[in-house]
Amino acid sequence: MEDTFSKKIQSALTNMANLGIHNAARGMAAMVGENLTVTEPQVTTVPFYEIPNLLGGPETEAVGIYLRVEGSIRGQIMMVIPYSKALELADLTMGEPPGTTSELGPMERSALAELGNLTGSFFLNAIADNTGLAARPSPPAVIVDMVGAIMDIILATADVLSEEVLMLQAKFLRNGRETQADFWLIPDHQTLASIAKQIGASHAG
Amino acid sequence: MQDSLAVGLGEYKISRNLDDVLVAYGLGSCVGIGMYDPQIRLAGLLHAVLPSSPNGTADKSAKYVTSGIEILLGEMVKAGAEPSRIIVRMAGGANMLIAPGFNQAFNIGTRNVEAAHEMLQRLRLRLVSEEVGGTIGRTVRFYVRDGRMTIRTVGNQEREI
Repeated sequence: MEDTFSKKIQSALTNMANLGIHNAARGMAAMVGENLTVTEPQVTTVPFYEIPNLLGGPETEAVGIYLRVEGSIRGQIMMVIPYSKALELADLTMGEPPGTTSELGPMERSALAELGNLTGSFFLNAIADNTGLAARPSPPAVIVDMVGAIMDIILATADVLSEEVLMLQAKFLRNGRETQADFWLIPDHQTLASIAKQIGASHAG
Repeated sequence: MQDSLAVGLGEYKISRNLDDVLVAYGLGSCVGIGMYDPQIRLAGLLHAVLPSSPNGTADKSAKYVTSGIEILLGEMVKAGAEPSRIIVRMAGGANMLIAPGFNQAFNIGTRNVEAAHEMLQRLRLRLVSEEVGGTIGRTVRFYVRDGRMTIRTVGNQEREI
């Protein structure tokens, strides 16, 4: 699968990612009852094996929020945040002053899981609206461990070690505070083909 | 001075430089398998990702536990190691996801360890220590000088296995 992300698919997925992440921000705002926005996400592709380096190396402590996607679209969504950023994001999500969260207890994990859940769901809705391919996310799992160990979760079910994966980088903003989070979307090969077909069909006429 | 040689996903490295330390960082379900010939002080470390190549393919690579062990053994022998002298140490193979809603596809760590045990037995290689399973990630270090293997987990000190 050399040509996994052709330019056309990448640009279509970029548009969907934009839509999805803005939907997600609205959903989160409703959840926290206050304005929480997300900046224009950067969408790029990165070789899978480069990911740990983007996060400070495979031994860096981080938080992973993981969803499996089932339905007409199948794949995985992983949001990875360095540990210190995850604490900031927990504060931001729960409306606490910066520096309040010093460790991730059940409450904080649950808030982060919900954030991942919302982001994933709204993102999938955006794809469904664009392609007619419906999918739903599994309940989110939150993993606190080394980056390398978190990435192994993806490799366990998708043989993407030597491939490029779609990366979204977005900043969450609330009352002038911001926290950056990176997401990786790893569609199953079959799903990528379906999306490509749908995009091809909708652009053919 | 010690030199750390990183062994990435699906890779292996061997060394006879006594100052080298072979390191596989942040192993989750992956396994780190170290082979050591004490007589010639030759060490090799494999960082395998999946148990074996998918059905019907003959993809022989260090990415898989089974073919990776064969490849590493071959390289060790080529560099002068004697299989009967080789000792093996292993760490990793955690099951990172034990949340409800995720099926047994995620017991990959356990399957990696089982695949390693079978292959080591088939090749009559001597496994002298291991720390596998559980639900946490590990960094594995393998010292060329004396064939020691250590692990480190988040928030903990390095310790020998």
